[in-house]
Amino acid sequence: MSHAVQFDLSEDQSAILGGLEQLIGTLNIEAPKDPVVSAYSQPLDDELTTGGFFEITQSEGFGLLDGALIVEALAKLPVSVEAAASILIAPSFLEDAGRRPVALVSGSAAAPARFLPMAKTLLVDKGDDVLRIDIPEGAVEDVETLFAYPYGRLKNPGALPAVSLGAGRVAELRRRWRMAIAVEAAGLMQSALDTVLEHVKTRQQFGRPIGSFQAVQHRLVMAAEQGQATRWLALRAAWSDSEADAAIAATYAQDATPKFCNDLHQFCGAMGLTLEFPLHHWTYRLRALLGEMGGSSGSALAAADAVWAGKVP
Amino acid sequence: MSESLDEFRARARAWLQANVPHHAAPMEGPESRDYALAWQKRQYEGGWAGLTWPQAYGGREASVLQQIAWFEEYARANAPSTHNACFVGTNHAGPTLIACGTDEQKSFHLPRIMKGEVIWCQGFSEPNTGSDLASLRTKGVVEGDELVVNGQKIWSSYADIADYQELLLRTDPDSARHHGLSWVICKMDTPGITVRPIKTMAGPAKFAEVFYDNVRIPLSNVVGGLNNGWKTAMSTLGFERGTASLALQISLGQRVEELIAANKDVALAETLMDLRADAAALRAMSYQFAVKSETGPVGSEGSMIRLYFAELAQRVAKASIEIFGIAAPNVLEEHGLGFDYFDAYSETIAGGTAEIQRNIIAERVLGLPRGSR
Repeated sequence: MSHAVQFDLSEDQSAILGGLEQLIGTLNIEAPKDPVVSAYSQPLDDELTTGGFFEITQSEGFGLLDGALIVEALAKLPVSVEAAASILIAPSFLEDAGRRPVALVSGSAAAPARFLPMAKTLLVDKGDDVLRIDIPEGAVEDVETLFAYPYGRLKNPGALPAVSLGAGRVAELRRRWRMAIAVEAAGLMQSALDTVLEHVKTRQQFGRPIGSFQAVQHRLVMAAEQGQATRWLALRAAWSDSEADAAIAATYAQDATPKFCNDLHQFCGAMGLTLEFPLHHWTYRLRALLGEMGGSSGSALAAADAVWAGKVP
Repeated sequence: MSESLDEFRARARAWLQANVPHHAAPMEGPESRDYALAWQKRQYEGGWAGLTWPQAYGGREASVLQQIAWFEEYARANAPSTHNACFVGTNHAGPTLIACGTDEQKSFHLPRIMKGEVIWCQGFSEPNTGSDLASLRTKGVVEGDELVVNGQKIWSSYADIADYQELLLRTDPDSARHHGLSWVICKMDTPGITVRPIKTMAGPAKFAEVFYDNVRIPLSNVVGGLNNGWKTAMSTLGFERGTASLALQISLGQRVEELIAANKDVALAETLMDLRADAAALRAMSYQFAVKSETGPVGSEGSMIRLYFAELAQRVAKASIEIFGIAAPNVLEEHGLGFDYFDAYSETIAGGTAEIQRNIIAERVLGLPRGSR
């Protein structure tokens, strides 16, 4: 075959991910010691900016798939940083790439949004239009949540000028947003699963590691399958940039995560329900992602719409 | 003339309407203690506390049907969750004392629990002793007429605001597994006790870790006999897996009804009606079990109901958050549905994990061979 299917990382991709790993290593990023609900890493944000990681999709020879691999790698960390919207959405919606972090919101500009406390731009999916709002200093109030992302809402959304990007941009925003959800979910699922696998190998009950019980093994195997499926669907969506693929990837991720998170917490017992155990750094975020863009039912409708309209690659 | 069930229900409804507190229960700390005690006291003064307790100990000895009517009205009135700081006293420690305590223990403690004067917490689990409770290691050594306690307990809800703890100890150093344990009343202000609250992922610091450093407890605080604690403890756990959950089960059914009433949307019909079917099935199972429990000892079917409840509670929490949306005020607000969602994770862990419940059901209800542990 002249066009072999390529599932391995290219040399360039390996080099970029290696560079990212090195950068993360120098920052010595660990799960926060004090029990906290959310932790945004500004030092990581700064380093990623300096390193040009947010502009990767515009670099010669790189595209969405390379950006997706970076978003996935960053999601594995026990701290958050706004990368998915900056890398996968912003380049085609922002005139000035420096106006990030980017927050996204559906429906009303007044609704709470992830990353709004530090965002410089808010993109609003109005259904029949996409609005771009520049966020001045002091325009946002924090919203306390249990979802491990910094949330905020505009204090006075009517007072900020909004640029209409037109109805023609709605589909693109939604496609990229769903792609971003799936890619980020894949990274979060991987770290969450790794944390639990480590726990069940070491935690002993009835004189043996709880990971040796079949009831535990079988469900963790299912969780691993869901993590892998999410990952490949997400990467395919980034590779094809098609509406059907993005919506299918989001549907799968959003549908799988409640059970996935439940099982993972179940096997960490009461310890897994505390802020002293790191699992929540990933499951809180998964919970937040699976509620966006209409959740799994909204994404499934979008997928059906794309498939029935023949927009399938 | 004795009161009919309808009359009982009408009286309950009227009382609840006039007495249910209007502000939400604080989730942790001294405020949650004050709130829970005040509500318990008010129920006692109104003649509604201790519905299940014998009259000899100040209870109402209400019939199961009356209990059901009360909890249905309780849920409808949106009364404070029964799973509050008074829960261990009214639903574990109290019933255990009734079943296994001495007259002196009963006459001292039961009225205080009933009147809303004291908070109890549970001291069973240890850092390395979760599902495998019989492996516990916190020890009590007999010295004269005292036990000297050293060790550590964890997941002791409300230990930071409790007056007493039902404490399970290894009192025979040569014993193994469920032999040689004792169930002891531990006063929480005894010297040598340190409590460290633990923040949960649902927000409040409801859990706590308790450390015992040469804590001296009178032997007269042993309940059900020295080295007989497993049997005493099992009477408590059996209660937790059985009728003690009736109030919570009924309250969950009410939540489903409210969710359905607030979301008349065809697109949600399947989700909501699935939940309604589950809630109806849970109601039927729990009422049948409760009625059966009135006429004699019941078996391990309670585990089936407990498990069904736990998993339904998680499904309801998940559906609620999805229906209202991640950014909805009632999801994001303090004690909102976001809190409920994460709090519901504990349903399949606390009081016996879902895996342990399934083992019990498989072996004792279905009669399957015991697997290796």
